[in-house]
Amino acid sequence: MNLRQREPLIFERSVPGKIGLDLPKLDVPPAKDTRPAHLRRTSFDALPSCSEPEVIRHFTKLSLWNYGMDQGMYPLGSCTMKHNPRLNEKVAGLPGFADSHPMADEALVQGNLALIHTLQEWLKEITGLAAVTLQPSAGAAGELTGVLLIRAYHVANGRKRTLILIPDSAHGTNPATAAMAGYEVVDVASGADGTVSFEDVTDPATGKVKKGLTSLIAEHHDEIAGLMVTNPNTLGIFEHRIDEICKAVHDVGGLVYMDGANMNALVGVARPGDFGIDVMHMNLHKTMSTPHGGGGPGAGPVACTKALEPFLPRPIVVRDTEKIGEGEVPKHTYRWDWDRPQSIGKVHTFFGNFGMLIRALTYCYSHGGDGLRTATLRAIVNANYIRKELMGVYHLPITSPTMHEVVFNDEFQAKNDVHTLDIAKRLIDYGFHPPTIYFPMVVHGALMIEPTESESKEELDAFVHAMKMIAKEAEENPDLLHQAPVTAPLRRMDETTAARKPVLRWQPA
Amino acid sequence: MRYLPSADGEDRELLNAIGVKVAEDLLSGVPDRLLMKRPLDLPPTSSELEVLRDMERMAALNKRFRTRFLGAGAYAHFCPTAVDHQISRQEWFTAYTPYQPEISQGTLQHIFEYQTLVCDLTGLEVTNASLYDGGTSCVEAALMAVRVQRKRTKVLVSEGLHPHYREVLRSGFASHEELSLVDVKLVDGVTDPVDLAAKLDDSVAAVLVGYPNFLGHVEDIKALADLAHGKGALLISVTQEAMAFGWLEAPGKVGADMACGEAMSFGNMTSFGGPFLGFLAVKDAHKREIPGRVVGQTTDLEGRTGYVLTLTAREQHIKRDRATSNICSNQGLIALRANIWLQLAGPEGLKGTAAQNAAKAQFLRSRLLELPDWEAVDDGTPFFNEFPLRYTGDLKAMRQTLMDEGILPGLDLTPHLKAYKNCVLWCATEINTRHQIEHLIEILARVASVVG
Repeated sequence: MNLRQREPLIFERSVPGKIGLDLPKLDVPPAKDTRPAHLRRTSFDALPSCSEPEVIRHFTKLSLWNYGMDQGMYPLGSCTMKHNPRLNEKVAGLPGFADSHPMADEALVQGNLALIHTLQEWLKEITGLAAVTLQPSAGAAGELTGVLLIRAYHVANGRKRTLILIPDSAHGTNPATAAMAGYEVVDVASGADGTVSFEDVTDPATGKVKKGLTSLIAEHHDEIAGLMVTNPNTLGIFEHRIDEICKAVHDVGGLVYMDGANMNALVGVARPGDFGIDVMHMNLHKTMSTPHGGGGPGAGPVACTKALEPFLPRPIVVRDTEKIGEGEVPKHTYRWDWDRPQSIGKVHTFFGNFGMLIRALTYCYSHGGDGLRTATLRAIVNANYIRKELMGVYHLPITSPTMHEVVFNDEFQAKNDVHTLDIAKRLIDYGFHPPTIYFPMVVHGALMIEPTESESKEELDAFVHAMKMIAKEAEENPDLLHQAPVTAPLRRMDETTAARKPVLRWQPA
Repeated sequence: MRYLPSADGEDRELLNAIGVKVAEDLLSGVPDRLLMKRPLDLPPTSSELEVLRDMERMAALNKRFRTRFLGAGAYAHFCPTAVDHQISRQEWFTAYTPYQPEISQGTLQHIFEYQTLVCDLTGLEVTNASLYDGGTSCVEAALMAVRVQRKRTKVLVSEGLHPHYREVLRSGFASHEELSLVDVKLVDGVTDPVDLAAKLDDSVAAVLVGYPNFLGHVEDIKALADLAHGKGALLISVTQEAMAFGWLEAPGKVGADMACGEAMSFGNMTSFGGPFLGFLAVKDAHKREIPGRVVGQTTDLEGRTGYVLTLTAREQHIKRDRATSNICSNQGLIALRANIWLQLAGPEGLKGTAAQNAAKAQFLRSRLLELPDWEAVDDGTPFFNEFPLRYTGDLKAMRQTLMDEGILPGLDLTPHLKAYKNCVLWCATEINTRHQIEHLIEILARVASVVG
């Protein structure tokens, strides 16, 4: 715990002459100064001078103002805050992996190539798709890779296509990615059940008509490069017509990208390759438990069909084979295949966030095929338990079956002028990290709760209790919620001034 | 399964409360035709000890080296023990992106300090919470330059950039048909100012130049910036070895408008190339065009200083298809490693480490040049901790001999740069001892005498 409520910036603590890192005495002649005079580093304005204990204390105190997974439920919807096994950390630090060099000859890194190949095989079986690349560094990087594959496919087939269809419930990275890949984005309406609508949808409030998939396909036809769909979608609902969606897009020559941010609801239960998906990414930092690190590093592998395989980023790991009799038998050696003339090229300097791939494979090995399915089911059970316990206390705007996460909103509380933000901040006072709020945008004032399979009934009950207490407070003493949080190191922050007059670094007085 | 809070009794209670018999009953949202009808064809659950043994076996398939002289974008430096200990705190590594500032001040203040240090190292005014790696930082920098330069559609790229960075740039630009990338040649191992001048015109948004470049050479960034500015183009310095910031003047102070690159050298292992640490720093005037997460200082309701994610109007979750980038997850924990490393090192530690790098590399080069088979390349061009030398003997056999002796040699440049056939890119850092260098020289002398 932090007894002191303020830790100054390290720069205010710096005393010239102190140091926290030392090196052996130089055992070769000092460097001759060959630098042009104007390129010589002379001074620093901010780098602090501190001893090791001072730096350790500084960071330890800062850390104590963070809420972490080991302190309790972290029900951020869509983020999949599950337990981070310590074994995975240990394995990623094994010197054989940690010391290995990305520019070393392939004969020297057979363990790494075996690891990449093995993880690819696991992901192929899990997704039901034919090929995998582990190069993308995060979900958004995976999306971009996937859309670039779609683009390369159309270009190779001599087709000029300009549009990507994206349901209005999608995460913001989908349209941002499509735009980065040079496509125009067209919104697809969601129906009352929260899934992609084939029919046009009229907003009851505004009378505005949003187009459904059928009319968009009729209208744009061969301008459509593809469709990006999240499944289960951002409401935690399975797109139950996903195979029909794929067929409709395929019929006009388009391809379907699946955002696998919620793949943790499908592992061992259903496979995107079986739905007709052409290409997808999954977030190893969600589904495979690699730690979120306060904002990364993540990993966003991409899986695709045989038809898209030639376009995958290079290099590809290939397992050597030998001829025995009539057949080719796999050997225990691997190599890089750089000779990929149709490849979209590299999407990472080297081979992706390799350390995260190690953790993900360790997670896979620990669970095994059976454990992966059990984890999926438990995540779904936990989400449904919360849904059941909080139904009637909070408004459930869309009642389709819940997979791994459930979206409520503040409709019941709004009549007392208590809103989603107030509920979220009050949860902090009850000792929980708030859920994801105001997303997906198709639900007004969304509270998106994802418990994951890591939570015990005891922890779920404690969370449910807190949510019920907050609903009660909203009736009896709404101001308590407007003031929340009151137990955190800081109260609500002035984000408007932060954006209007940005102070983005410390500067010496 | 040790990670699941599952027991018959508890599972039953949950299912009863929900009102279903078995968990599978909750899959009613998935049409039966789409459900998997067989178990995953994968091995079963394994105990912690079994998994550890399997993974140790896999790690042991990699060859480890006592001595390493390979850099080329991934550098082996000393990392104080305190770094690993600190980042192992669950408060750091298990936390999410700091969306709830009241309970994420640790991460937010760390990023604010990290941003301050990146600005200090680069001599620029605004940076973000990190990008994925050096290669993708070039893409983000180049696309940002095109945004701020409006109608200019061409980006010039020095052939002195890491070949992988150049390939990542090409992948990132391929889908932007209105934009083009044009290579600028090298002369004496640095960007050719004549070729640059010839290719600069009113359509050029920016010029990317290595600092130091892929060959370890120190580009005269000031002179190149003057050329670029003369035609209204921005100069983007690309640093693949951030330890050089302790040796070379901050790019922003000698003409660079933007600085990007790779900062894995501060507190990270080479780890097969990832996770690494991309960075991008820009001028204040361009701050609303920078991609990625940015942390700013503000106050809470009671006037106490605190930190929040800010300038979010640029980002994908608000702007969707008009965002400055699609990036959200970045390299948070790697930025923390770098921040801790830099705070431990301070100005003296950074300058001292950098000076040792320069000294060891110079010593290595001069000792190699005493051997008969090694020829100087780009003689007289200043370098930091890497340099190319041409080998006149059997390069493959020589490298194999070194590897058999437990020494990881420098990179064979033959497949990477046409003009550097049979050249080796040697790297020495503070972790290489004089003894290691002498041992290398001994073996190479032996190789020479056998062949000679």
